[in-house]
Parts: sequence; C-alpha cells; structure tokens
Amino acid sequence: RFFSVAANASVIPSTPIKMKAFNGSETEDINTSQLFTDKKVVVFGVPGAFTPVCSNQHVPGFIEKAHSLASLGIDTIACVSVNDHFVMKAWAEKLNTGPQVLMVSDPTAEFTKSIGMDVDLTAGGLGVRSTRYAMVVDNGTVKQVMKEDSPGALDASSVDAVLAKLK
Amino acid sequence: TVDTHANNIMVVKVGDKFPDVTLFEGSPAGAVKTSEILAGKKVVLFALPGAFTPGCSKTHLPGYIEDYDQFKAKGVDTIVCVSVNDPFVMAAWGESFKVGDKIRMLADPRGELAEALDVVLDLTAVLGNKRSKRYSMLIEDGCVKHFNLEEDGGGLTCSLSNNLLSAI
Repeated sequence: RFFSVAANASVIPSTPIKMKAFNGSETEDINTSQLFTDKKVVVFGVPGAFTPVCSNQHVPGFIEKAHSLASLGIDTIACVSVNDHFVMKAWAEKLNTGPQVLMVSDPTAEFTKSIGMDVDLTAGGLGVRSTRYAMVVDNGTVKQVMKEDSPGALDASSVDAVLAKLK
Repeated sequence: TVDTHANNIMVVKVGDKFPDVTLFEGSPAGAVKTSEILAGKKVVLFALPGAFTPGCSKTHLPGYIEDYDQFKAKGVDTIVCVSVNDPFVMAAWGESFKVGDKIRMLADPRGELAEALDVVLDLTAVLGNKRSKRYSMLIEDGCVKHFNLEEDGGGLTCSLSNNLLSAI
C-alpha cells in the first residue's frame, strides 16, 4: 500500500464516487458528496459481508452503541465493504442493522482504494477487499483514522475505540 | 483439462469432460476439487450470476430445492450450486434457504470455473465484477450429459430445475 488516508485529508473526491447503501428499509444510491458533506460521519471498513469477525463483533458493536455515537454528535455511521449491494442488504437484514448503521456497498473497491484501505485477500478467496479500519470524518475531512494491523484483527477500529477517541 | 487460452476458448458442450477446478465450500479453508465431486457420480450442477440477487433467490435456487426428492428418485447423487461469490457469502445464502444437505453451495471466487467453461458474464456495472452465466448441467462420471445455458446469461428459462429433471 503506498498510502492510507491520514488526518486532515479529504475523502470527497472532485468526481463523486457512486455507491449504493442499505438504510434499514431500502437500498439507495449514494455518492461520496452525499455521504460526507456537512456531516459528522464514522466510517468503518470491513473485509467481507458474512465473514466471522465482521458479523459477530465489528458491525454488532456499532449497532449496539449507535446511540452513544449519536449523542457525541455523529450524524451517520457507515459500514463499507467490497461486496455487491444485494449481498450487503442481505447481510444487513441478517444483522438487523436497522437505520442505525448505513451499509454501504463498494463493489469495485473504488472508494476503498481512494482512501488507501484496499487489501489483496485473493489468497484467502476474497479478492481485493477493504482492510479493517474506522475513521471519524467531519464535513469530508478526516479527523481520526484507526487502521487495524491486519484485516482479521479488531481493536483500534472497534466502536469502543472510536468512542474513546471522540470523548 | 480445457484449454483456456483466449484464442481457443470454446463454450463447454455435451460430451466434454468437466474441467477440474478448485471450488470452496463454507470458508476459504473448504477447498474441494470438482473432479472429486464428480468421479463415479451422477451430479446436477447449476450456476448463477449472484448469491442473494433477485432471480437467483426467488426462482433459480428454490426450484432445485423443491425438486430435490425427484432428482434423487432419478438417481442423482449430488446437487451443486456454483456462483462467483466468496465461500462465506455462498454458505450464508444456502443457510438462508435452509438447503441443509440437499445442495452443496460452492464458491468460485476467482471465476475460474466460469472461465474454464467459457460462460463468463461481465456484470461489473451492476455487481462489481465478472460472474457466471446461468446454466444447468447433468454430469455423469465427470462427463457433461446435458447442458442448458441461458444465452443472455441471466434469463430464467432453460436452466430451471424442471427442465433438467424432465431430461433425465
């Protein structure tokens, strides 16, 4: 990886990156401008829908403590994964993400690559995916970025770690 | 093995030996070779563009679950569902339909089987990558006996289970 986005970088490219997101009721089109402009957003990336750590710990943690993040001024919690939007929706429904966590599908890894969070998991049968990370983004500017040492780990990017950074 | 050089790719046809490709069941650790599944057995294999996508979920997969007993009554040993998805997604999709032991949900994550059979469907615009066309097959001891390919890749016609069932 040549670089990963760092504090004070912008995550809104001049040409918006189009993605789709499941908001708990339906799948909607969303681009980077819409996701980040004028909002305080916690974005976290996961290697794959339906994979163990992502399913059993990472996403559930954010669902559970969504209200705590909201009370600290966070407008949107967005989970990004390199999966198609049908898979993301099915996974979101299984995890009961509801309106609390926006489940964003980045199927070609365009957004993930734009922030330098892509990782080649082809050897593990997953292809190019997102590594595990969490970021606090304010009106498109990165305030905090916490990237796990390896995609399988869950420590710096957990909801508790994010809450600790915000308090 | 099927020659997959770009100039020589030919769509698989009846009478061909089914290519030996490694697929994955349940997780990346669940590698299984098609040759192992097919040797000495009568196997129904159907492939589709994507786990959890509408046509695949509403029609294609359910048909094979429903017709399981009838396939078994006709001497089919194994029913296999293949898609270009990762093995976690395939397993989860199968579980959501409670396929249990009826259908082996196998992942072709790098599209190797789709390439070997020359049935790649470019769905980058919709799903983000290349997938497999929809098709169904009857394979006996590794030899393709019946092959029903949806020409447009995604149609729900000749590759449905009732069609293959009546041909056996």
